[in-house]
Amino acid sequence: MKNLRKIVEEFSCEYVENYKKIWIKAKLNSKNDLLTLANALKKEGLRSLSTVSPTDFLEDHIMEVNYFFEDLETKRNLWLKIDLPRKVEECKVESLTPLFPSAAWHEREAFSMFGVEFLHHPDLRDILKSEDFRGVYPFRKDFDWGAHEKNQMQNIQQIVDAFKKEQEENEIELDPDSSETMLNWGPTHPASGPIRLRVHCDGEEVISIDPDIGYVWRALEHLVTKKDFVGAIVAVERLCFMDNINSMVGYCMAVEEIADVKITPFASWMRVLLGEVARVSSHFMGLGGFFNNIGLHTLGMWNMDTREFFLDFLESYSGARIATASIEPGGVRYGLDMSMFDELQKALDKFDTTVGEVEAIFVKNPTMKLRSDNVGILSKEDVHEFGLSGIVARASGVKTDIRIDEPYAAYDELDLKYITQEGGSANDRFMMLFRDIKQSIEIIKQAKFHIEKAVAEGEMNPTKDHMVKVPKKLPKGEAISRVEWARGEVLMHLVTEEKAKSPYRLKMRAPSFNHTMMLNHLLKGRTLSDIPLIFGSLYICQGDLDR
Amino acid sequence: MLKILDFFDYAKSESLWMAHFCTGCCSLEMAAAMGPRYDWERYGYLPTPTPRQADVLMITGLVSKKILPALLRTYAQMPDPKYVVAMGACSFDGGPYNESLSVIKNPTEILPADVFIAGCPPKPEAIIEGLEQVKLKIKNGEPSAASQGGLWKEMEF
Amino acid sequence: MIDSLFAAFIFPGLLYVLLWTIGLFWFFRKFIASLHKRVGPSFNGKGGSYQTLFDLSKLLTKESITPDGVNPYLFSIMPLLALIIAMLPSAFIPWMDGLVVVDSSYGLLALVILIGIEPFLLFLTGFGSNNKYSFLGGVRILTQSISMETTFFLASLSPALLFGTMNLTEIVTSSSWLSFLILLPAFAIYFVALLGLLEQPPFNIPDAEQEIVYGFYTEYSGTNYFLLKLAEFAEFMAVFAGATTLFLGAYKGIYFDSYFFFFMKMLGIAVAMMTIRAATPRITLAQMLSFSWKYMVPLALLNLAWVLFAKSLWFMGA
Repeated sequence: MKNLRKIVEEFSCEYVENYKKIWIKAKLNSKNDLLTLANALKKEGLRSLSTVSPTDFLEDHIMEVNYFFEDLETKRNLWLKIDLPRKVEECKVESLTPLFPSAAWHEREAFSMFGVEFLHHPDLRDILKSEDFRGVYPFRKDFDWGAHEKNQMQNIQQIVDAFKKEQEENEIELDPDSSETMLNWGPTHPASGPIRLRVHCDGEEVISIDPDIGYVWRALEHLVTKKDFVGAIVAVERLCFMDNINSMVGYCMAVEEIADVKITPFASWMRVLLGEVARVSSHFMGLGGFFNNIGLHTLGMWNMDTREFFLDFLESYSGARIATASIEPGGVRYGLDMSMFDELQKALDKFDTTVGEVEAIFVKNPTMKLRSDNVGILSKEDVHEFGLSGIVARASGVKTDIRIDEPYAAYDELDLKYITQEGGSANDRFMMLFRDIKQSIEIIKQAKFHIEKAVAEGEMNPTKDHMVKVPKKLPKGEAISRVEWARGEVLMHLVTEEKAKSPYRLKMRAPSFNHTMMLNHLLKGRTLSDIPLIFGSLYICQGDLDR
Repeated sequence: MLKILDFFDYAKSESLWMAHFCTGCCSLEMAAAMGPRYDWERYGYLPTPTPRQADVLMITGLVSKKILPALLRTYAQMPDPKYVVAMGACSFDGGPYNESLSVIKNPTEILPADVFIAGCPPKPEAIIEGLEQVKLKIKNGEPSAASQGGLWKEMEF
Repeated sequence: MIDSLFAAFIFPGLLYVLLWTIGLFWFFRKFIASLHKRVGPSFNGKGGSYQTLFDLSKLLTKESITPDGVNPYLFSIMPLLALIIAMLPSAFIPWMDGLVVVDSSYGLLALVILIGIEPFLLFLTGFGSNNKYSFLGGVRILTQSISMETTFFLASLSPALLFGTMNLTEIVTSSSWLSFLILLPAFAIYFVALLGLLEQPPFNIPDAEQEIVYGFYTEYSGTNYFLLKLAEFAEFMAVFAGATTLFLGAYKGIYFDSYFFFFMKMLGIAVAMMTIRAATPRITLAQMLSFSWKYMVPLALLNLAWVLFAKSLWFMGA
């Protein structure tokens, strides 16, 4: 930590300060120092760049760019800021992609949304946004959405025309005498979901893949700025419906930090419990999806059966199966009736009775091993360079888990260990998912036991302790929070203005964005049959990919 | 002769196959409706891999601007007679994404839907009930809403 | 005349194939559903038994789309041709004692050849669809059938080798418990080749949904798809009936001989196939090729040696 601070202090900074336990927050005075500092950071071991998040300060005429550097080995992180001029023509900075490959898409996103130009970026194209936003930057504060939407049909026609043109031009550049062709793998494809992979292939062999994303782009980061602090959870939870609770936890932690509110122990234990239930229900879909993608639906169906029992618990708690909206700034939304735990117990029992047959038939399936061993191998080096997290990182043997690295809610009181898998192949990622479910079930059992005990002893009041009042208007401030989401690390960067009723800027760094970046790296030179397998094993959710 | 034709009409209503196309989050609950607890195959619904063999197009939730051309193409590729089911609040008026930059707030003005299923996301029971409404519509011999009008007819995609 | 018309349109011709398709399709869906912990079709008729009837009838009334840019004759004639070729083998099958439409002394040869050219017709359907996914599916089915049919032919030859005849009726009459045991390895090889030939998991590579959408079926709709579906099930019947005739003693039962036993044996093979379908993921094309040529073909050849050896041991006097 001291070394890191020393390195940063060598450069001329407005301030360098310690932030939380494992972060250093610094602001560079000159953007010319960025590349040299980044080089020094990389030598020091901060090899992954988590995300690039610009904030547009309209009144100060400043575009502030935030960089989040992480070291997955020693758990030291740096939050670096640079001020850029706000004018589109002058808003330029050196690209970090040559040093940190993980920055590639994040910089493209910052370019498309805010118009920050990254010099010497190898592939600075628009990403996410649809054709009608070409040349305009929708996340800038002076972007007039009303005027843009006035001729909606014309916008749509523009998109349709661009789509048609692209389809017609698909094969023009290819050699007509060869067997090379362009395949659209998605968005109308049984296994793709709303994402399109432009597969350049020669017969069965894949030459390169260019993911085209943004089919479920809902501009959530922009949407939250139109809602109040409580209403924003509706947008935040729709990051991805499969595991919605943990993303809400991350957002609420950031709000609570700015409001300087401390939640009750009961609320933090409930966050752990609900978060793990959501994680398990997401992992069930992931396990099933892995097999669905290699043509076997039985496990998907069996898991769906077990998952329903966990959803029953969420339904009894919040009234909704999926869109629970049950985490709110200040705690959890609802009190707990202890009889709701009966539903949870049913789910746990159901899991315990079925896990054996799942393991025997599917986890040890020889055909699955034949398919997925030695396929899609990600080395430790890849994990660091491309900033991968969660299941995918742990399957390659990197010990990273935000629940342990930077404990939030009540995770510091729990007995948790890193589970890792050596190898990093698709099979390892599958095994990792399965072992993660088992760990989460253990956590649920611990949390349930703890809550029941504390309630019985009178330390917690399940009907009154769930909320602490959070003021409707927050002071000016800035906070980041990280949570271990089902798919990996979610980093929320929240900026508020003085006496604000709604967030000024919320950046959500979602893991699937980085994982999708790996597709070309993993699939180059392989065959078409490996596309669904590797795609499924990366555990991508299009919701948090596009946001 | 009339009896035989009636039989074919009845068969048409009782066998609805869905095009496999997800535009948004509601497809998660569609997966649950296929699952063991709700099992929509009991009613004869079946997902098909290609739109060429499908009878029903499900708009599963939000329709972003970018996915609209693909949605319309998928609809155009389906054989007649074809029906559209709009799931969730998003496909009615944008739902929670009403103020979003990139979500079309009135996708059913472009591609009219025969049945709307309420909810965000709709429960599996509601999805099955909605599809039963489509069956009723076919049994009554009503033409599908999209064949009657909608902005999609004027667009070239 | 009436006899041949009856054979063509009633039994074992069109009507029989239709009933078989409706019944087996329903049975497959119910059986797979029960392995999925689901119910399957349930509300139309008893146990949902009308469901597949409705499904197939509906396909007849739907629009049959001919996509732009395809050769309409090739596109529309292939499903019909595929169905006819798939139905032909049943003319050579001895369904009951004395009930065989064409009692040829080359019955076995006709059977395997008619089964063997079916994948080529399906390749043409994919080739004529003017769709990249269909074409990939067509190429895959060609690759797969070439490697799987070698095994299939070698396995089908073993009864002929054992009994010294290619007449299917004679093969059935001379089969016994002893010959069943001798032909057991041949039957196992035939069964694996059958999975490959019928595009069933783990060899459902040509119509792999998650990879190439629906392979050669991708562009077909309405009546054309109905015909292809019918052809698929007729092919099931031909291959199952072939296995039953060659290895399992056809209509021979425990106390009496009847068509009932023939049907139950075919159903048994179908159940085994479905169980594998519900528990095995798909393998890749390269793995299928190496599996077929490195293991199945040598095994099939070894099996021929075993059949010859067994024949010299037990069937010398016969």
